[in-house]
Amino acid sequence: MSVRTEPSLTSAPRRIKRSWLLASLFLAWLVLARITKGKATLELPVPENTAFTTWVGDIADSIRGNRSDGAAFKYFFNPVREFIDGFVNVIRELIAIPNGNSSIPVLGWLGVLALIGFIVYSISHIRMAIAAVSLTFACGALGLWTDSMDTLAMTLAAVILSLAIGIPVGIWAGLSDRALKAVTPILDLAQILPTLVYLAPLALFFLIGPASATIATMVYSIPIAVRLTAFGIRGVATSPVEAGTSMGTTKVQLLKKVQLPMASRTIILGINQTVMAALSFVVIAALIGAPGLGKPVVEALIIRNVGEGFVAGLAVVLIAIMLDRSTSAAIQEETSFVPPSQADRKRRKFGLTIFGALTLVSIVLSRQLAWAAYFPEQIDISKLVAQSTDAFVVWVTENLQILTSGLSKVVTVGVLNPLESLLSYSPWFLTVTMITLISLILGGVRSAFVSFVLLLAIVASGLWFDTMITFTQTIVATLLTMAVGVVVGVWVGRSTRAERALRPILDAGQTLPAFVYLIPMLGFFGPSRFTAIATGIVYSIPIVVKIVGQGIREVPVNMIEAATSAGSTKWQLITKVQLPAAKKSLLLATNQGLIFVLAVVVIGGFVGAGGLGYLVILGGSKPQLQGKGLVAGFSILLLGVMIDRIAQYTVARNSAPKH
Amino acid sequence: MTRNKKVAAKASVLAAAAALLLSACGGAGVDANASAAPTGDAAACGSYAIAMHAWVGYTASAQVVTEVAKANGCDISQVTLEEAGVTYDAMEAGSVDVVIEDWGGGRWKEWADRGALVEVGENGNIGLIGMYVPQWMADEYPDITDSANLNKYADLFKNDESKGKGAWYEGPPGYTTIGEKLVAANKLNYTIISTGSEQALIDVFTKADADKTAALGYFYEPQNFLAKVPLARIKFPANDWTDAEKASGLTDYPESPLIKLATPKVMDANDAFTKIVKNFSWTNADQNEVAADIESGTDPAVAAQKWIDAHADVVAGWLK
Repeated sequence: MSVRTEPSLTSAPRRIKRSWLLASLFLAWLVLARITKGKATLELPVPENTAFTTWVGDIADSIRGNRSDGAAFKYFFNPVREFIDGFVNVIRELIAIPNGNSSIPVLGWLGVLALIGFIVYSISHIRMAIAAVSLTFACGALGLWTDSMDTLAMTLAAVILSLAIGIPVGIWAGLSDRALKAVTPILDLAQILPTLVYLAPLALFFLIGPASATIATMVYSIPIAVRLTAFGIRGVATSPVEAGTSMGTTKVQLLKKVQLPMASRTIILGINQTVMAALSFVVIAALIGAPGLGKPVVEALIIRNVGEGFVAGLAVVLIAIMLDRSTSAAIQEETSFVPPSQADRKRRKFGLTIFGALTLVSIVLSRQLAWAAYFPEQIDISKLVAQSTDAFVVWVTENLQILTSGLSKVVTVGVLNPLESLLSYSPWFLTVTMITLISLILGGVRSAFVSFVLLLAIVASGLWFDTMITFTQTIVATLLTMAVGVVVGVWVGRSTRAERALRPILDAGQTLPAFVYLIPMLGFFGPSRFTAIATGIVYSIPIVVKIVGQGIREVPVNMIEAATSAGSTKWQLITKVQLPAAKKSLLLATNQGLIFVLAVVVIGGFVGAGGLGYLVILGGSKPQLQGKGLVAGFSILLLGVMIDRIAQYTVARNSAPKH
Repeated sequence: MTRNKKVAAKASVLAAAAALLLSACGGAGVDANASAAPTGDAAACGSYAIAMHAWVGYTASAQVVTEVAKANGCDISQVTLEEAGVTYDAMEAGSVDVVIEDWGGGRWKEWADRGALVEVGENGNIGLIGMYVPQWMADEYPDITDSANLNKYADLFKNDESKGKGAWYEGPPGYTTIGEKLVAANKLNYTIISTGSEQALIDVFTKADADKTAALGYFYEPQNFLAKVPLARIKFPANDWTDAEKASGLTDYPESPLIKLATPKVMDANDAFTKIVKNFSWTNADQNEVAADIESGTDPAVAAQKWIDAHADVVAGWLK
């Protein structure tokens, strides 16, 4: 009974009132929607433009026409493009593409492997070096050596440039409150924005090619570098800083000698996260001409070659594991508090010398001998992997057809169609009113105001109907994600063994490009909205499970002990104690789930899901619809910001008056 | 203190690595061994990038051009990317030089006007886009191939995605499609469902053929798939394609000769590649032959070479 006195339950009456309010609002919506169905939906046929989209298309045209002699291009965009292209190509020529007149890169495969081993060894330890070399070798064994090296080169280039901008800005934001306030909204925006959205505008300014791909990657990864650097600097305890100041150190000295070294762990974590963000971009960047592993994945999607797509996706995962573990190992090395003994240091020096010599020999060999320059073709397990994957997918498609089509039917007929008719086929003003009211109940007055303004902006964009189609899919996918994610998250949060068993799957799920399983999903569910939804679910479940699991684990032990001693069953413990106590995590997980789902549902335009994503893709390939595609991208942004704001206000409102 | 030493040690390691690299760069390189491998005769030919698009027929044509050009000393790279706007942009940027098969009547005009690309001419293939049903439907409902009867059969094509009307599977975004116009102009009771990829369409038709279920979808010739799964083309009222302005009243897809596009760089070079691109021409049957080999798992380069060997006279004609 002691459970009832826990603070988390005192708000129960208010919550009940709120859900009652929501339910009655929903009911009213259903009735009104039924009466007004099909009126004022603002549906715009796919091939048609509005005055606004035509105008945007004309602007895009004039930008394109200006490329060769417009001042902005001559003095800004073109030099930037050339610089980045040049920078990327220097790294590519080092490991991936033929260098100058030679027919191989500066380093052949043996040289690259040795160098990776040496670098990883020098920042961590020998076991990690062996692991990194093996993982890289496996990419070659998948028959994708050159593409893998291209991906590695593109990632490196993007990471170096991102850090060159992100760390200084991060330091600035770490030292100055005003700077932090100025950059935070931009950072938020860059992280909400689904990647598909800014590809077309970037290509307009920087053309199709490595430069656009690199810049697109940077848009995504710079915010992470900035955030973690600022966070690291702000996390430095005040006493060393005060001690430094009192001793009369200058600001620069303070930064160099105190703040940066003490924040180094977080900054390396930032590098790690920046690397992962850049890598997650590999596939989508292939849509605007990035070389590397994204190419085979996208090709495989287009010709629906599940096996080959999986092989390429697997190589992305291997590189991700390699880079993630190497940088993580470097963090551990950086923070190990046991000073190395004299003997240790000697041994290490010896190891480095030997390893260095071996690396030198390998590099020279890889430049002189064909076997060390070209990855051996005999080592190729790609066919095997591809065929096994194909066989598996065929088996699932044939044997689980009833299950897959049944699932798809239940969700489509039972949830998707009714919700779609509510959101999209009601008059726009009814939907705007209802969403605003729901936002008011969930997040308060400010939330309602922001939602209202954003919804009106979407109406003004002319793509209201398509936005609601996408919104419907996002909501349905998020509901299903939460249903699965919370169950698994609770399990993971309660059992260390489950956490350990699922961790690699969750990690892989976060790095495996969504495009890879978009292909088999297409096989399971055909061209339909559900295919996009299923892909969105698979993509966002890992993050939801992680956040929920973390939240459950952080529930104070005394609360659980109190409940257990009062005789709660396991079910009661979960539903009455752990979940309510982890409420903030649940809301945060919902927010993240929504943003992740939105990013993928948009890609669903490739598999028949329609909506804004389809318009974005269409705009890229049909010149007369390019303006519409750009506006569709902008509408996705508006939708994403609205979802994020409602969720943020709801989180803030629910966590503020605690205790 | 230890930290500083550690940092210093790391710095020296990195410096050593850099030194290693530099010393290695001084080496002669593999070129001595490698240069024997590629280049055939030393006929002056530049290096070019050919666009690769997603459909297998395109792969067949592009691969044959690639192999012939390589045999004549050209350095050819293949760049995979979406058709139309994306490709034209890439041509303007100089990262793609040739499109060997373009379906869209004149959609490149804006780029051609700016001098980014040149319309080279027809490639000999005749493209025919249309709406198709599996052959079994045409056998069972003989009048279904007349568009006037499509509404009568709309119920057959209903599914969860089609909002109570017939499901009309439209071609992928990059392809030339006028589904909305067809539905509107012919007053059809169908909902257009975008498919996103050609393989999704192939899936739909393969399933419909195997399970004897209904399907109405976008397809086109030349396409080797038609030899494996027989489809019947729906006849729509004929329309006048000569005037692009009338496109809003389109009632059917016309037959269209497929077009080659190239950058001015190719046209001005006047080398072997210029000749090949200008003269390349083959029939739908030729393309289907190579495409069939590629689809059955033969490496595209091998499939192309096989055709080249069997048609030496045709190839010789391209080089004149």
